[in-house]
Amino acid sequence: MGLKPATNPDVEAATIELAIDGKTVTAKDGVSLYDVISSTGKIIPAMCYHYTFDPFGSCGMCLVMQEGKKAPVRSCTAKATAGMIIRTEGDDLFQARKKAVEKHLSVHPLDCPVCDADGHCELQDMAFQHGVTNLANAKQKFIPEDTRSPVLDFNMNRCIACAECINVCKDVLMIDALQFMKKGGFNQVVAKGDLPLACEFCGDCLAVCPVGAITNKFSKYLYKPWQMKKTTTTCNYCGDGCQMYLETKDTEVIRVTSPLSWKNKWGDRADTAKGHGGLCVRGRFGFEYIDSAARLKRPLLRKGNQLVEVPWLEAMHTIVDRFADIRKKHGPEAIAGLITARCTNEELYLFQKLMRVAFRTNNLDSSARYGHMNFVRASKHALGIGRTPNDWEDLTKAKAVVVIGSNLTETNPLTSVRIKEAIRVYKAQVVVFDSAITNLGKLASHPVLIKAGTEGLVIDGLVKATVELDLVDEESVKKHPQAYAALKSAVAPLSLEQLAAKTGVSVAQFKDAATIFAESPRSIVLCAEGIVRQPDGYHNVLKLIDLAWITGKLGRPGCGVNTVTEEPNEQGAADMGVAPEFLPGLASFDDQAMRDKLAKAWDATLPAIGTGAHFMEILSRCRSGQIRALYVVGENPLATLPASVEVRAALDRLELLVVQDPFLTETGNMAHAVLPATTSAEKDGTFTNLEGRVLRVRQAMDAIGESVPDWQIMTSLANGLGCQWEYDSANDVQAEIMKLLPGYYNLGQPKKITPTVDQYLSNGYAAGAAARYKRAPSDGKRPFTLQMGQLLYHSGKLSTAAPGLIKIGPNTGRLRMNPADMERLGLQDGASVKLTSDRGALQMGVQLDQSVAPHTCFFPEHFNEPPVKDLMSVHVDPVTGVPSFKRTGVTIEKV
Amino acid sequence: MTVRNATKKFLQAALFYEIWDAMKVTFKHMFHKPITFQYPREQRAIPDTHRGALGLLRYDDGQERCVGCDLCEAACPSRCIKVISAEDVERPLQRYASEFYIDITKCVFCGYCVEACPVNALAMTKMYEFSTHDKRTLLFDKKRLYDIGERHLDDAKKYLYAHNQEKNIEESREYRYYFPQSVIKSTQPAPKHLS
Repeated sequence: MGLKPATNPDVEAATIELAIDGKTVTAKDGVSLYDVISSTGKIIPAMCYHYTFDPFGSCGMCLVMQEGKKAPVRSCTAKATAGMIIRTEGDDLFQARKKAVEKHLSVHPLDCPVCDADGHCELQDMAFQHGVTNLANAKQKFIPEDTRSPVLDFNMNRCIACAECINVCKDVLMIDALQFMKKGGFNQVVAKGDLPLACEFCGDCLAVCPVGAITNKFSKYLYKPWQMKKTTTTCNYCGDGCQMYLETKDTEVIRVTSPLSWKNKWGDRADTAKGHGGLCVRGRFGFEYIDSAARLKRPLLRKGNQLVEVPWLEAMHTIVDRFADIRKKHGPEAIAGLITARCTNEELYLFQKLMRVAFRTNNLDSSARYGHMNFVRASKHALGIGRTPNDWEDLTKAKAVVVIGSNLTETNPLTSVRIKEAIRVYKAQVVVFDSAITNLGKLASHPVLIKAGTEGLVIDGLVKATVELDLVDEESVKKHPQAYAALKSAVAPLSLEQLAAKTGVSVAQFKDAATIFAESPRSIVLCAEGIVRQPDGYHNVLKLIDLAWITGKLGRPGCGVNTVTEEPNEQGAADMGVAPEFLPGLASFDDQAMRDKLAKAWDATLPAIGTGAHFMEILSRCRSGQIRALYVVGENPLATLPASVEVRAALDRLELLVVQDPFLTETGNMAHAVLPATTSAEKDGTFTNLEGRVLRVRQAMDAIGESVPDWQIMTSLANGLGCQWEYDSANDVQAEIMKLLPGYYNLGQPKKITPTVDQYLSNGYAAGAAARYKRAPSDGKRPFTLQMGQLLYHSGKLSTAAPGLIKIGPNTGRLRMNPADMERLGLQDGASVKLTSDRGALQMGVQLDQSVAPHTCFFPEHFNEPPVKDLMSVHVDPVTGVPSFKRTGVTIEKV
Repeated sequence: MTVRNATKKFLQAALFYEIWDAMKVTFKHMFHKPITFQYPREQRAIPDTHRGALGLLRYDDGQERCVGCDLCEAACPSRCIKVISAEDVERPLQRYASEFYIDITKCVFCGYCVEACPVNALAMTKMYEFSTHDKRTLLFDKKRLYDIGERHLDDAKKYLYAHNQEKNIEESREYRYYFPQSVIKSTQPAPKHLS
């Protein structure tokens, strides 16, 4: 596909002048004439055009008259050249366009009344606009509908062959799952090779289809576009923070649509650097959990051995009395709280305020502790920022991206689209280090398959190669000669050959990657679950920061070390101070100025410095009996952590376990009281996404049953415990946060932050650096590495409550293995194996998976059937307290 | 006031003139045929175009005409129609109304829904007697609407004819739109009106 000069930041295209309808217009040379016309605000109809990809030119609607030509020309495929004289209006053009509509309509079934696109159909609009009432020679296609895919139905009778679906799939998403095929005398859109469609199911083809040729199985025939209430909100599956439209009818969620649509097809391609507006499979098709029948509708209280439905008043009275009782008897240290990062900023803020002011304890943590905290702590420690320095635009416009330990297309699909655009439009070099054969690796210029668990060593190798090849940035290094000397001596004992042998990366690859990273003007490191959720995550992020520092990338625009988050508001959880070591605004818990400010604002004394426990510590204190009451909001440690953590034993010892969740979880089943909370579709608030953008979450529908938003439950809990909180809405909480953290609500435009590295490099850097590069992961004796991770179709445990996503990505209950390994062990697909780790053994089936590397096997972390997670050992990071339990050595034997 | 006027007034009062004058109308009507219908013993003859209760119709083979397109709902000015549609499991591609409600207490009998219907599944009948003690029964559901349509099929057809909506049953299936056909296999011949 050709590059459009207007969108490439490196090429300054010549400016030309042309006349459109008598007005002189300036434009960039080489741009499509249609783009130039639409940039002047004139709308010419076009059904096959969309600004996110190159013009295709099949609909024949965008006709304009060019002086010197007898017949109208298609403006989308014509390049704008200097001196063109263009007329876009006139009766002759209207008639020509009308003819084009008639041509499309004459082979279009007039089944508008039963078509899902009725009222949201470009062909319908065009027919109406051009007054097409009579069709001579109308002919029907009579093509059977393709319903083989689990998500999308293809009704090719309605297709107008605009190829928008094919183009968006190929050019924007680089998945290339659709093609044209001549079948039954007509050009039809089919899945590649006319097989049942099996792709990433992002549904962007559905969004751009201007007619009803592609329809959605989950909401087929359930609606007419005008019947639904459309709410702009933020997706709550991953940290990308995609904006989406939740369309609801009464108490039902009918469908989810994206800003990417055939309806907004006019724009500058450069705008897509901030995101193309699409969604992924989870966002678009995973909405069914909201109005699921499994939702909790009334509070539950344990009476005898059972959870019994009780009125809200009774439940709240009981809980408040028992919390107050425990606090009186055993002191505030006997109470702890856990919250999920799927809650809004307001709720996270209120949660820590509740814990610190109403319960007067600092035992609180969020699910950001499962990994993101490693990054936040390292970034805060070294750079003083505590979040990712780059946004999507930086990612798109990067010239070099080093993706390490991240299966980005699965975990954060829309961030991966940014990297795909960097590859496709901006010709970025992408180095992917991963212990699995990832989709991004297939597109990358330098895919490197590493041995499982050697991400840390790979970073060592990169730093070593940078030092060895002298790729360092003189300016940055000269400022801190001592620190650089310390780093040099720390990596001196390392040898690239040894690292190469251990990691499976060749020396040349190390050198190539280091060169690419160091020499590009804009280079970005992206690390994720392979780093932050693994042992030594904290130190590995610091090593990456070292790498960025010596190559002079810290603080340079468009460069930096980044991560992605699994849950929508992990960044918000850190920012709101839902961690024992942080106060709101990522201030340290012992920061006296912030403590005074908060104490004054809250009119309370904060828990003493030095108290508090993080996630794993809370669980161990529960087990030892120090903590007697636990307040769990949306978190489900029982189903998340391996059996070796003995969560069940810990929860069993509690005198009071209160779980607040939209669903009855495994942890909820053990609780003394379960409070029904709403999902994010039923409340207002904000999420902070992985770029640091604060995005609105809006209430789309009334709460299901008697469920209540979390902030409301927390407010009444605090008031029951003697506080006087007067929050009537999430806005009131927001107003309070705005006062305490001025500038936090950035209206989706995060403040550009500049890392301050001087403090870190001049104080005690040497000791840390020396220790960092000595760590070697212990070699397991077991031949296979079992990895647990995310699937594209799921996010945490929440998505398993969405029947649609379970239909697309069911729990096969089988271990995924590389075909070569299966052949070596003599295993057939579906054969049964015995999986043994240090923690136990399990018998389960195996399944062939091409994306799994040799000597590894994979099981998705979303499912506990069979309980593969219990085979994992837990390693808790001594600095950040992050538990890592996603990888272990196993032996596999045929049964 | 003159003497003459006063005399006239006095005579009229004495002879009960006003009463006789009024009785004149009464006596005149004694020789007319009575206008009042003895409802409900006597029923009025109703024109075909009469807008009475709504009914849902079936094709002659018993198949439901309604395709659940929600256009009646969109056309209804008093918002008394609610259609819940779904895909027919038996016949792929066929949309139908799984539920259909008309709140007849809200209905203004404008007939827009009948006009909007692309398959002439809705028609108005000459039925207007649906008084009840329980207002809740006036929310007509799908079954009740089909019952009305079945019982007053002739009236419904006459209504459609009188409103130029449907000339005969043959035309009705291919009336205005080509609906998707359930295609089980690709070698299946196209239906008559599509070939």
